Amino acid sequence: MTEKKVPSKVTPLFFARSYLSTEDNKTGSWRFLRPRYEEKTAPCSVACPAGEDIGRIEALTNQGMFKEAWETILRENPFPGVCGSVCYHPCEAVCNRGEFDEAVAINAMERFLADTARKNEFKPFLTNLSAKKEKIAVVGGGPSGLSAAYFLTLLGYNCDVFEAETEPGGVLRWGIPQYRLPLPVLERDISLIKDQGVQIKTGIHISKEFLKEAGESYNAVFIGCGYSRSRELEIPGEDLKGIKDGLAFLNRIRHGEKPRLDGLSVIIGGGNTAIDVARSVVRLGGTPLIAYRRRKQDMPAFSEEIELALDEGVVLKELVIPVSVVPDKGDYIVTLHYMRIMGEDDRGRALVEPDGNKTEEMRVKNVFKAIGEETAESWCVPPHKGEGVVTLNNSTLDCRTGSAVLVFGGDLTNEIKSVVHAVASGKEAAIALDILFREGLDTVESKIRDCLVGNGSFCSMEIYMKGPRFDRSSHVVSYSEINADYFYLSQRITQPRLLREERLATFDEVNLKVSASMAIKETERCFNCGLCNQCDNCYLFCPDLSIVRDKTPQGRHINYDYCKGCGICVVECPRNAMILEEETNEESAGRESCGS
Amino acid sequence: MPLNVPEQDYMYPGHVACPGCGAAIAMRFFLKAMGEKIIIVLPACCWSIIAGAYPQMSLKVPVIHTAFETGGSVASGVRAALDMKGDTGTTVVTWAGDGGTFDIGFQALSGAVERNENFIYVCYDNEAYMNTGIQRSSSTPYGAWTTTTPGRSWKRMRKKNIVEALVAHRIPYAATASIAFPEDLVRKVEKAKDIKGSRFLHVYATCPTGWRIPSEISIKIARMAVQNNIFPLYEVEDGVKYTINYKPKEFPVREYFKLQGRFKHLTEGDLAEIQEMVNEDWELLLKKAGD
Ligand SMILES: Cc1ncc(C[n+]2csc(CCOP(=O)(O)OP(=O)(O)O)c2C)c(N)n1
Ligand code: SF4
Ligand code: SF4
Ligand code: SF4
Ligand SMILES: [Mg+2]
Repeated sequence: MTEKKVPSKVTPLFFARSYLSTEDNKTGSWRFLRPRYEEKTAPCSVACPAGEDIGRIEALTNQGMFKEAWETILRENPFPGVCGSVCYHPCEAVCNRGEFDEAVAINAMERFLADTARKNEFKPFLTNLSAKKEKIAVVGGGPSGLSAAYFLTLLGYNCDVFEAETEPGGVLRWGIPQYRLPLPVLERDISLIKDQGVQIKTGIHISKEFLKEAGESYNAVFIGCGYSRSRELEIPGEDLKGIKDGLAFLNRIRHGEKPRLDGLSVIIGGGNTAIDVARSVVRLGGTPLIAYRRRKQDMPAFSEEIELALDEGVVLKELVIPVSVVPDKGDYIVTLHYMRIMGEDDRGRALVEPDGNKTEEMRVKNVFKAIGEETAESWCVPPHKGEGVVTLNNSTLDCRTGSAVLVFGGDLTNEIKSVVHAVASGKEAAIALDILFREGLDTVESKIRDCLVGNGSFCSMEIYMKGPRFDRSSHVVSYSEINADYFYLSQRITQPRLLREERLATFDEVNLKVSASMAIKETERCFNCGLCNQCDNCYLFCPDLSIVRDKTPQGRHINYDYCKGCGICVVECPRNAMILEEETNEESAGRESCGS
Repeated sequence: MPLNVPEQDYMYPGHVACPGCGAAIAMRFFLKAMGEKIIIVLPACCWSIIAGAYPQMSLKVPVIHTAFETGGSVASGVRAALDMKGDTGTTVVTWAGDGGTFDIGFQALSGAVERNENFIYVCYDNEAYMNTGIQRSSSTPYGAWTTTTPGRSWKRMRKKNIVEALVAHRIPYAATASIAFPEDLVRKVEKAKDIKGSRFLHVYATCPTGWRIPSEISIKIARMAVQNNIFPLYEVEDGVKYTINYKPKEFPVREYFKLQGRFKHLTEGDLAEIQEMVNEDWELLLKKAGD
């Protein structure tokens, strides 16, 4: 500073002027609580059988980082298009936002990302681990088989998928109607699986004999054949020609047939196949009636599907079972026996028994049976627990043969038969095999436990591969841990759909596309439970300027020289991505340097 | 989305405010919005200490420490001196506590704003004389324990409405702000900065030590005060034009009081009475705002 001339007649003021900053005071020594960044687990990701990192996916989508969001799905699920279309989204049922206003439309966002990736022809940046020597055969090119092959490929294994049909996809291609899952969406997912390095051999029917010789060329065989044969009704008349099998009917439609179905069709069953058949009958000009032995709320079909079916004019007749089918002048006379409720089982479903002799006769044009499916071949059934058999949550390992290890997955090992459960079993099987080959059978169960998401029963590939998710706490964030003051009530998007009238005549997809602006608005609603979304609240509210921005993925760190441990940052983090713990002397940098 | 608050800080860490001090947060936000072309006039209060005991300082802007009752008069003098030097770009800011504003400094403040001195007066309100050990001030709310309203002698007078007292002077700008609403606070500071004449900001600043609350809920309490209409956010231009910045839907005050040790003696009956008072004040404000 240059000396300023002071006019001689003015007496200068002598102020004591401070010349040091307070930075010499290491106020960190005052601290008896210590804040720390710690990401936690969102409940949605625990409920998602594919273990998707949903909170992160929504955050990335909200920031317009659609490719990164889509890749985040692909790390856990090779079927974003398929699941975005047909998943029954158990994640949404537990979404914390549901306690605030309405759950985040997670499923619609998944489909939005898949569509965006397809439209822009995104190529995922997912590299396979270094090549392993073991080779694996996958029997069945359905969702579980393709998932197993995809994850094994990511882990560096060479996989051959054997598919009996002319094209891969299994139930996705031949079972689920196009109005729910359009072919291009499925084909895009499958082509990405192939691009990752999975070899699919179609038109090859695998028999039991194959397993005997498999050991020569393969170290393991994944068996994901699923259910392909409809269960029998076991009533007089069911073997009549003309009584249709639900699955076979759906299969014919997917092969391009479009039979006219005038008049009344009765569909027996209450699962997703029954609903798919009924909604297909509507589209073929018929009048469907579903006859189910329990109540609507007991139906195994996904509730959203049931509502859409009813909306399209499907009639539901509850508490009836068919007792006979008799042909009559080109029609059938179906006799339905009324049931009555005796109580409820432990899952709240009605327990029923025949209600006296009360019956009703019905004249119908067609009868479809859809009371569930069973496996076509007995060797596909997983073995029971025992020496050399490891039964996991969604797959079973059988090491008894001494040659190729057998891994069972798909519908046969899952309690809930859904596409996303098939993904779960394929992934779990892939991880289990990797553990088996690298570390031996004894560690499989405990290592699988280590890569479960939160307190759930589904694995995460990212956790297994020790990616960033590995460092998260498995604590599942509850709604009470969200600082809801930072959120405003806002309506969940309504999935745009074809008008009812438009739906009835075609097999066009019912759900219409969600726009990018809708997706950004919807994902803004996500709390990102337990995950830092860089909102900067912690930085902003610190009274001690002790949060410092940096270039780490966390974006900031705490300067423990000054942090007094007030805890404001932890409480003002809207999403519980921080934690306040008791300070221990050794850890306190402030105390050491201050020496007080 | 991150809150929209200017990036630059004009404070050093290592200051000696209590953990979770709302007054420290208030200054941090204020300076972010104000920038460095200011001189702070600081009458005796907690901030006299937080700003640093000689030879230390925690602020990157000039500060004049001054006597408890002189916030208004010293600022008038500093302004006059700057004007004589031809420095019109520097803003003079008095930064005072509630004791220094509502009580002992009130005369100097009233005099200064009556003359419409060209300065900003910020009162950070922690609702008692905290620096000397939690004595009651005329800002201490009805129902509060302090060391001079102990035990059963808890304060039975209502908090003085300081903004209305300033508004009665018809100053160009008077506003309330809260540390829990940084965007609103920053906007008001930026607005005040561009107005000439006397401007008054009444900033709610939690005091974990004096209020007997855990430090981590410092911001949460400040937020509740606004959400429950205990501390409404509003601004008044030229003594007449009222704008309410935040309108809560319903405002049960009970939980706000239940969380604080200074109110722990209050019965449900007392709380019901307080609720009445809060409702009454709010109705009055709505009327003034013409809503
Ligand atoms: C004339 C005079 N009386 C008393 C004091 C002692 N004193 C210093 S700070 C203070 C309390 C200030 O209270 P407030 O203005 O509310 O600020 P706070 O400390 O609460 O931040 C008192 C009484 C003084 N400095 N000068
Ligand atoms: S708010 Fe977001 S992160 Fe939290 S449960 Fe819902 S979708 Fe998951
Ligand atoms: S807000 Fe600042 S001082 Fe308080 S605990 Fe967090 S980092 Fe430490
Ligand atoms: S407050 Fe915001 S920036 Fe800080 S940890 Fe939480 S989410 Fe991340
Ligand atoms: Mg005070």
